[in-house]
Amino acid sequence: MNTRLHTWTWVAWLIVTLIALSATRNLFYLTLILFCLLVNYFILEASFQKGAYPLSLLRFGLMICGFSTVFNLLTSHNGATVIFSLPQAWPLIGGSYTLEAAVYGLTNGLVLFGILLVFTIFSQVLPVRRLIRLVPRVFFPVAVVTSIAVTFVPTTIRQFHQIKEAQLIRGQRLKSLGDWLPLIVPLLVGGLERALQLSEAMTSRGFASSSPAPGKQSSRLVMVSGLLLVTAGWILGSWSGKESLGLGLIFSGLLLLLGALWWMGRQIPHTNYTREVWQAGDGIVLLGSGVLVFVLLSSFAGLTILGSLYYSAYPVLQWPDFDPWIGSALLALCFPAYIMSLGKK
Amino acid sequence: MKNRWLSPIIYLICSLVGVVSLLYPFVLPQFNATGQPGQQRSADMPLMLTLLLGLALLVLVYEVQGQAMSTKIIALLGVLVAINAALRFFDVAIPIPGGFSPIFFLIILTGYVYGARFGFLMGVMTLVVSAILTGGVGPWLPSQMFTAGWVGMSAALLRPSMRNLSLEGRSGEVWILAGFSAVWGILFGIIMNLWTWPFIAGPADQYWSQGIGMLETFQRYATYYLATSLVWDIARAAGNFLLIFGFGVPALRALRRFQRRFTFTYSQPPAPVVPENLPG
Repeated sequence: MNTRLHTWTWVAWLIVTLIALSATRNLFYLTLILFCLLVNYFILEASFQKGAYPLSLLRFGLMICGFSTVFNLLTSHNGATVIFSLPQAWPLIGGSYTLEAAVYGLTNGLVLFGILLVFTIFSQVLPVRRLIRLVPRVFFPVAVVTSIAVTFVPTTIRQFHQIKEAQLIRGQRLKSLGDWLPLIVPLLVGGLERALQLSEAMTSRGFASSSPAPGKQSSRLVMVSGLLLVTAGWILGSWSGKESLGLGLIFSGLLLLLGALWWMGRQIPHTNYTREVWQAGDGIVLLGSGVLVFVLLSSFAGLTILGSLYYSAYPVLQWPDFDPWIGSALLALCFPAYIMSLGKK
Repeated sequence: MKNRWLSPIIYLICSLVGVVSLLYPFVLPQFNATGQPGQQRSADMPLMLTLLLGLALLVLVYEVQGQAMSTKIIALLGVLVAINAALRFFDVAIPIPGGFSPIFFLIILTGYVYGARFGFLMGVMTLVVSAILTGGVGPWLPSQMFTAGWVGMSAALLRPSMRNLSLEGRSGEVWILAGFSAVWGILFGIIMNLWTWPFIAGPADQYWSQGIGMLETFQRYATYYLATSLVWDIARAAGNFLLIFGFGVPALRALRRFQRRFTFTYSQPPAPVVPENLPG
C-alpha cells in the first residue's frame, strides 16, 4: 500500500495544528497536541531529509520551555502562590517569585515548541520539489528562481570547496578576514558567469517568449483592495469591538485576493508531468482535521465546556478544565503518523 | 500614465500594511485600554500578523515580478540566491557567535547595484530558499522575508546620493555602504523582535502588557531590547560592516561588470524569405 500523503493533506494538517495551537492555552490540551506532534515526529523521522541542526529538536524544545519558564519567573512578579521573595529594593530581580509566573512562562514555551515542531515535521516530510509545487501558478517566475537556487546550492558549495583547495595548494591560509577575499570573489564571479550562461540557454530555448508582463491593472487593483479589506477588518474587529463586521471584511478581502490570484493563475498555461493521487489515507487525515476544526468552533460557540480552551495561570493557579470531546478530537492530529506507519508494516 | 503611478502606490500600500502589522504591539495596548476584549484577542495576534504580512508580501512580490522579471533577471537572481543560501547554510551548520549572518552582504550590494526591485526579491528569495533548505519554514518567515526585502530595497536609495556626491567607485562609497549595513544589522533585530516580544513576555513592569500607553510600550520595548538583544545585534552589525568593508570594492566591481554583460537583448529573428515560383 502506498501511504504517501498528498501535499495538500499535509498543508491542511499544518493549518489545523496551528489553529489548535493558537486557540488554546489550556495545559492539558497543549500537552495532548505536543504528544501528537512528537508521535508524528518519531514515527516519520526515518523518512526525514538530512538537515543541518546543531542541536537535537527535543533538546532545543527543552531549552525553549526552560528558558521561557525561568524568564517569566524572573521578570513577572504577579500571582498569589509565592515560592520565594527577594528584597523589593533590589533593582529588576527584587520581589516575589510566583508559581503562576512559572506556569505562564511554561505555557508560552510549550506553544512555541509546538509551532517549531509542526513546521519541522512539515518541511522535513515534504521534499523540496513538492514544496515548490505549492507555489501558486501565478508566481511561476518566483518558482523558477527557487528551483534554480535550490539546484545551484550544491554546485555553489562544491565550487567553494574547489576554490578553497586551489588556494590552499597555492599556499593561501585563512588566518584573517582579508584571507577570505581570494575565496569570496571567485565564488561570486563564478556564480555570475553561470548565471550568464543559464540566461543565454534559457533565452535560446524560448523562455524569454513567456516572460511575464505586468499584470492587468484591474487584477492588481482587486488584489490591493483585498489586502486593504483584510487590514481594515483586522483593525475594525480589534479596535472598535465590531468583531463580526471585522471578520466579514477579513473573509471578503481574503476571498477577493485569493480569487484574483487563482483567476490570474488560470490564464497561465502549464503542464503537469507527475500528478499526485488522492488516497484513502488522505481522506482519514482530512476527516480528522475537519472534525477537530468543528469541535474547536463549537467550543467557541459554547457547545462544549465554555472557556476550557482559554486558560490563564494568573491570578491564582488552578487546574484547567478538560472537555473529553476536545481531548478526543485533538488526537486526530496523530493520524498522519498512523497512516504512514501502515506503509512500514 | 495610470500604470506608472499604480506600481509606486501598490509598493507604498503593501509596505504600510507590513509596517502596521509589525508595529501591532504598540497599537494593541491602545484599544485594550478602551475596555475592548484584549486578553483572548491577543492570543491570535501573532497568527493575524503572519497572515497580514504574508498577504502583503504576496501582493508586493506579484507587483515586483511583473515589473522586473526577465530571463536574465531570473537566472541572475536564482544563482545569486543560491550563493546566499549556501552562505546561510554554513551559518546554520557552524554556530557563529551573536546574530552575525553573511546573507546581508549580497542583499545590500545587489540592491545597491541592480536596483530596488532586484534587492527586494534578493532579500525575499534568500530567506525562502534558505528556509526550505535548512528546515526553517515557520510563522516567523513572512516577517523575516519582508524585513530582508526592505534591506535590499532600501539599499537602492543610496544610489542617487552617491551619484550626486560623485562617490561611485571611491572609498567613500564602501564606507557609506558598510555604515548602512551596520545600521540594518541593528534594525533587523529590532524589527524581528517585535514578532516575539508580546508573545513571550509576562506581565512584568518592564515587558509588554495590555492597557498601557504607546509611550510606555516604547519605553518597555527599549528596555527589553537593550537587555536581551543589543549585544546579539551588535555582532550582526559588526559582521555586516566588516564584510562590506573587506570585500565590498571587488564585489561591487564584479557586479557592475556583469551588469554591463547582462545587457544583451533578445530579438525575434527576421522571418525567412520564401522565394516565389518554387517548383512543386
